[in-house]
Amino acid sequence: MTNTEIIDICGLNSYYGDRQVLFDIEFGIPRNRITVIMGVSGCGKTTLLRHLIGLKSSRPKELMIEGEDMGGFRESRMNQYRSRIGVLFQSGALFNSMTVADNVSVPLRVHSKLHKETIRIIATIKLHQVGLSEFCDYMPSQLSGGMQKRAGLARALAMDPEILFVDEPSSGLDPITAAGLDNLILELKDTLGMTIIVVTHELESAFRIADQIVVLDKGRLLTAGSPEEIQTSQDERVVQFLERQADQKQENNEAYIKTLVGRQIPQVQD
Amino acid sequence: MLRYVRMLGALALENIENLGRMGVYFSRMLRGIIRPPGKFWPVVKQIEFVGTKSFFVIGFTAISTGMVLGLQGHYTLSKFGSESVLGAAVALSLIRELGPVLTGLMVTGRAGSAMCAEIGIMRIDEQIDALECMAIDPYAYLITPKLVASLIAFPLLTAYCDVVGIFGGYLVGVGLFGLNPGVYMNSVQNSVLWEDVYMGIVKSLCFSVLMIWICTYKGYYTGLDEGNFGPEQVSRATTKAVVLASIAILLCDYFVTSVMT
Repeated sequence: MTNTEIIDICGLNSYYGDRQVLFDIEFGIPRNRITVIMGVSGCGKTTLLRHLIGLKSSRPKELMIEGEDMGGFRESRMNQYRSRIGVLFQSGALFNSMTVADNVSVPLRVHSKLHKETIRIIATIKLHQVGLSEFCDYMPSQLSGGMQKRAGLARALAMDPEILFVDEPSSGLDPITAAGLDNLILELKDTLGMTIIVVTHELESAFRIADQIVVLDKGRLLTAGSPEEIQTSQDERVVQFLERQADQKQENNEAYIKTLVGRQIPQVQD
Repeated sequence: MLRYVRMLGALALENIENLGRMGVYFSRMLRGIIRPPGKFWPVVKQIEFVGTKSFFVIGFTAISTGMVLGLQGHYTLSKFGSESVLGAAVALSLIRELGPVLTGLMVTGRAGSAMCAEIGIMRIDEQIDALECMAIDPYAYLITPKLVASLIAFPLLTAYCDVVGIFGGYLVGVGLFGLNPGVYMNSVQNSVLWEDVYMGIVKSLCFSVLMIWICTYKGYYTGLDEGNFGPEQVSRATTKAVVLASIAILLCDYFVTSVMT
């Protein structure tokens, strides 16, 4: 790990039950930069993100946060780490029972001793930052999908995190709203020097905002580098991904019939 | 044969794991009492939800049960010429047994199911994950206020159920069968001891803990075992929560009665 790297992933493996979903992932996340994790659906991007935010535990020495082993974090240390990060979930994950402003206020109310009115002002500032200051008193269900995502981002920014994790910021958004979110992410890096990790499969957005791109495929790290390096990559799978080419179907009739009937078909003897 | 043994073993291990997880869940729920955030207003809000909003359903259940006890009690007691102790029969049945159990079952059906569904939806919508990522203890934030509120609301609701039920018996005994009001009330006053009331309170406290423990646990772990987070998992968790909590309340009722009698 170099001094510029805030998180170092050293051979991360991940499982759901007996099924392995990440295989020996290894790369570093540079400080004050935007790292985009890309890959086709189901390649393990979100699982990797869940490891990085501590929602899925990792084995010792697999994840290093500023040189400290995240696998050995106790609850209090994990909470310390989490108070330095902000997370925007794919769905926005807003609390449905409270207004947008109250949602943004939650971390401030729990972690600070600020006066109620001060918290309200900070929440309004954060909502203004994402263009939602007029919607403070709306309930999440009254907002569109894009607005919910932006409100989720405002909540993630409430505690001025050092590291921001963003899961699929553009999915389900129209191009204009998506571009607005991209601009906001770039602004956060430039003005506040945040380290931002974005998980996405939107190529345009990724190349626009990324300082470093990591490409995953079937749970394995395919390649990592600057956007230019990724664009000029000769790797067949990377090229296929960038050129949006569908997988070639390789029909195996016997295997297909097996999936249909659930057992091996006996060979017919002549 | 070996396959069945293996299946049985797997089932046993799964159940042991679940029990262990429930134990850990319970301890975290209790630990939440001393952890931030502050709980005064969330507890007040939950008392309103568990207590105030259950008033009608508990009142209706209590008055109808009290009236039925009055009818049945009068029929039985009149065979022995002891109609004068109708008040005692209604009051003791309610205070020692029916009041806490009916309150427990009705609140489980009304509030327990809603709590399970609410927490289940928060789970499938990543809201609980969001709390954890904000370094907020989801137990202290979501579950503990419900526990504290239920511990306050259940005994009060049980007392309310007892009083309304006794009044239901009074309506039937005095209004329908022409018993002397003084005789009815005197029999209530003479027969009910502090131990009877105490048993009702202990039962209501036990039932409140069971209801919160089971219903919120089922909501909290919605879909986690199946690895599938959808509306169907929430509805399944809610059904399981209500059934399990109701069974637990009935079993606990027998246990507490046998210990305290």
